[in-house]
Amino acid sequence: MSAGAPPVLAARGVSLAFGTPPAARTILSDLAFEVPEREFVCIVGPSGCGKTTLLRVLAGLLPASAGEAHFQGRRVAAPQPDIAIIFQDYGRALLPWRTVAGNVALAFEARGIPKSEHAVRSAPLLAKMRLAEHADKFPAELSGGMQQRVQIARCLAQEPRVLLMDEPFGALDAITRQTLQDEFARLCESEHRTVLFVTHDLEEAIYLGDRVIALAANPGRIVEIIDVDLPRPRRQLETREDYRFLEYRHRLFQHLGHE
Amino acid sequence: MRRVAIGMIFPLAVTALWELAAWAGAVSGDSFSRPVLVAAALVAAVADGTLLRQTAETFVSAIIGLAIATVLAVAAGAVLGLSRTLERLTVLTVEALRPIPSVALIPVALLIFGFGQNMTGSVVAFACFWPILIVTISSVRGIDPRLIEVGRMMGLPLAKRIRKLALPAALPGIMVGIRIAAGIAIVVAVTVEIAANPRGLGHGMIVAQQSLHPDLMWATLLWLGLVGWIANWGLLRLERRWLRWFWAQREA
Repeated sequence: MSAGAPPVLAARGVSLAFGTPPAARTILSDLAFEVPEREFVCIVGPSGCGKTTLLRVLAGLLPASAGEAHFQGRRVAAPQPDIAIIFQDYGRALLPWRTVAGNVALAFEARGIPKSEHAVRSAPLLAKMRLAEHADKFPAELSGGMQQRVQIARCLAQEPRVLLMDEPFGALDAITRQTLQDEFARLCESEHRTVLFVTHDLEEAIYLGDRVIALAANPGRIVEIIDVDLPRPRRQLETREDYRFLEYRHRLFQHLGHE
Repeated sequence: MRRVAIGMIFPLAVTALWELAAWAGAVSGDSFSRPVLVAAALVAAVADGTLLRQTAETFVSAIIGLAIATVLAVAAGAVLGLSRTLERLTVLTVEALRPIPSVALIPVALLIFGFGQNMTGSVVAFACFWPILIVTISSVRGIDPRLIEVGRMMGLPLAKRIRKLALPAALPGIMVGIRIAAGIAIVVAVTVEIAANPRGLGHGMIVAQQSLHPDLMWATLLWLGLVGWIANWGLLRLERRWLRWFWAQREA
């Protein structure tokens, strides 16, 4: 990263309120943070703190009431292909009438890539997400973890500069969740991905993140930012037993509705 | 096969009863004819080609009308389903036009098209347009907004979001509308032929009735039922194939 280059993603005083002033409800209050290139930033907070809403503002799906979301120094006014979002509810985000390969191809179609190249381009992505032998199956024929892999593969096919993830593993069982955490962490590490990852699970946030931003609710505001100093690759047992991990967990715990 | 065999018991029993009643003189041969004579008339009409020609005339008109209605209604329904403003703008017009009985348009269609295929087809199209339009609007409105967001995030332009996301997502509903409309198409096509257009199966039945051929009239009616049943079966098969994903999702 060259000095002075703008961060990939930034929230500059983002506030959001619904309703008109006397009865307005503030969801987000003056949020400011940056996501530098190649960094894995996690946002953790209790339910109702506006995590998902914040992600939608940064994605350009929702305009902020005040302040701006920035991508590479420019205001995000509308969705753009450089910013990909992975939704928690994979079942609603996948096209049930398309096979796994067809779902991934949607990203190619959006980029105007000729049909003849789709198979060649999707093969390495499917292999990377361990979906190669499921290419011709419909989403309904796959497990939840597999469906979420499809959504991730499709977002990667978009070739975005930053991945926004909205509790992507929240609906999965514990073992599948840990497997996907590790696979995804390795992938981001080896490809130097820039990620903003939202979760309500503070251990997940510490385990995955280079940095953890803790939000409090009513209104959503930043209460703490922790730089995570834990060696990579992270390991489910060793990392979670590291004294620093426990220290971070201790510091964040109080912000999650246990004040 | 077993299911077919069981299903045949009732119609065969009715036919036998019909034959018996005619034989005993309980029903008039001038109006009810007899199954044996009806079968003979059916074979003769198929053999000399009149029934097949009339079938082609009726069904080509019905299919033309249904096809025009489908294209227009799906396109209009997709737009009205996605845009509340346009829907509010047109709702009064739709509700005012929809109750017009399609056969009341026969004089208008006659004036515009004269006798022939286009006249029947236009009345069929009018009748089929409404059920497909209404089902398409509600199906498109009912699709998951998350799918449209996925398209926006990828940078799909609006036209492609409609074609690649909204319409396929709404297809199971739209297919129900088309199947309902297909039934209406045959009803309306035959009605137009009976009432005004001297061609097709409807006209064939009227001519048979007026020339004192109740056997041919009944034969045409039975034939119409048979062909209609085959058409519906074909549509169901198509639907099963196009909507393989839909049924896979249902079973999961």
